[in-house]
Amino acid sequence: MIKRRDFIKLLSSAGVGMTAAGWSGFAAADKRRTTSAAAAVVPTIAGVKGRVVVIGGGMGGATVAKYLRMWGGTGVDVTLVEREPVYTSNIMSNLVLNGQRTVQSLQYGYGNLANKYGIRMMQGNVVAIDPVGRKITLADGTLLAYDKLVLSPGIDFETVPGLETAEAQAKVPHAWKAGQQTTALRNMIAAMPNNGAFVMSIPAAPYRCPPGPYERACVVADWLRRNKPGARVIVLDANPKIMAEPNAFLEGFALHGIQYYTNAVIDHVDTGSMSVYTNLGRVDANVINVIPPQRAGAVITDNGLADVGGRWTGVNVLTYEANHIAGVHVIGDASATTQPKAGHIANQEAKVCADAMVRAFAGKNPDPSPVTNSSCYSPITADTASWLTAVFGFDAATGTMKVVGGAATEAASRSKDNYEEMLKWFNTLMSDSFA
Amino acid sequence: MNRTLGSLVALALAPAAAHAQTTSAVEVPGRLLASNCFQCHGTNGSGGFERLAGMSSSEIVKEIQEMRRENPPEMMDVHARGYTDAQIKLIADYFAKLAR
Repeated sequence: MIKRRDFIKLLSSAGVGMTAAGWSGFAAADKRRTTSAAAAVVPTIAGVKGRVVVIGGGMGGATVAKYLRMWGGTGVDVTLVEREPVYTSNIMSNLVLNGQRTVQSLQYGYGNLANKYGIRMMQGNVVAIDPVGRKITLADGTLLAYDKLVLSPGIDFETVPGLETAEAQAKVPHAWKAGQQTTALRNMIAAMPNNGAFVMSIPAAPYRCPPGPYERACVVADWLRRNKPGARVIVLDANPKIMAEPNAFLEGFALHGIQYYTNAVIDHVDTGSMSVYTNLGRVDANVINVIPPQRAGAVITDNGLADVGGRWTGVNVLTYEANHIAGVHVIGDASATTQPKAGHIANQEAKVCADAMVRAFAGKNPDPSPVTNSSCYSPITADTASWLTAVFGFDAATGTMKVVGGAATEAASRSKDNYEEMLKWFNTLMSDSFA
Repeated sequence: MNRTLGSLVALALAPAAAHAQTTSAVEVPGRLLASNCFQCHGTNGSGGFERLAGMSSSEIVKEIQEMRRENPPEMMDVHARGYTDAQIKLIADYFAKLAR
């Protein structure tokens, strides 16, 4: 977790342009609905009326807010509550670690959502949810009433023994929420000695972005191979096998000489000696990157909404309404579905949720057979990438989303074309969510 | 005569068209399916990879059918295999109605 004061410190020390769009998103709240831009993309639709509060302005939350207004029109009042003034994309953030991107280049403001779509932006922290009275409370005491609530808080982390303190976490960053920790990990890698060891760990699934850790191992190893002769990358995976794109990553591991261990369970980390203690033995390192086990964002677990394993919220995938709490919808990484926890599919879950809400406000049933898709590109080197994709269809017999054709498909081989397509995919996906 | 007939037809269709517009404002055929394309082809099918807004329905259907035969599949070829013919037709008809 990045503490607020650290975030501000980072902004000032790194000279990060707090994008004008970022602040204007919040400042412009009172002017919503009066701008001509909003009138152009938010239609007036008779018979559709409702109040929606969205908590969390990431891939899911931004998208659901935008599409509620685009498809529901001016009668759907949307308030988006977010803690941070800008969103920092996790997608592409592994390329900060090999110096190809900066954290600033991954930041997106909320100006379009406010000005173009007439969404009320509120910066704040949610302290209470009252699903019976249908209202939420912010830390500053603000009460927000809703007809429907969307929670899109992403993930939080379980505590890893030895990494309980802020000091320990600063020495061993997860960098699994892009931001200050990503830059910190990049600096540690850049400062590694020749012949040094970079040790990273992958938590048991489900975790955010199934291919992400393997991608990270590849891009870091690729950079070390060219810049730090003799350096080693050691991957400790709690899972029994590579969780996504096995062909691309096995080839990448061989290409980069990555040492990969499965079923590796961390007992504890000693930040004094910089050692990772596992069921397979002790591993000493110059840089340690533990990606901790994950659960839904705190707003879910703190409010008793984590009915699946105490970590995630079970939902009806026709609407994303929580199975046990009427009027509360959970999208993205925080929900428990058969779909991966990743930004691209959070965007599509948001559209299914928005469409169902708009229909409900008009007294209609949700689409009975929604389709979603997951797509992503994974860099394997500084100029080649692989990809993974799947289309999910609603299976009425089980009430779940099932991969059409049975399995996700990965690229036949990594290529430079894929790397170029990756940049276009990323920019378009971010625009579909934030612009 | 023709003009009179035309006016009569227009009058007869007007209420039906208005009614269709009202109901379709929240239940737009193909829209939610087509939104699966927006992440890469841009919101409403413009602004990313190949522009889909305003493309003819038959052209989209033809391209999808060709992609289904590609082997090994590129990413879009996988998507072409992920939708039924009926779903592809709904998606194609939706994009065809948007401004080019």
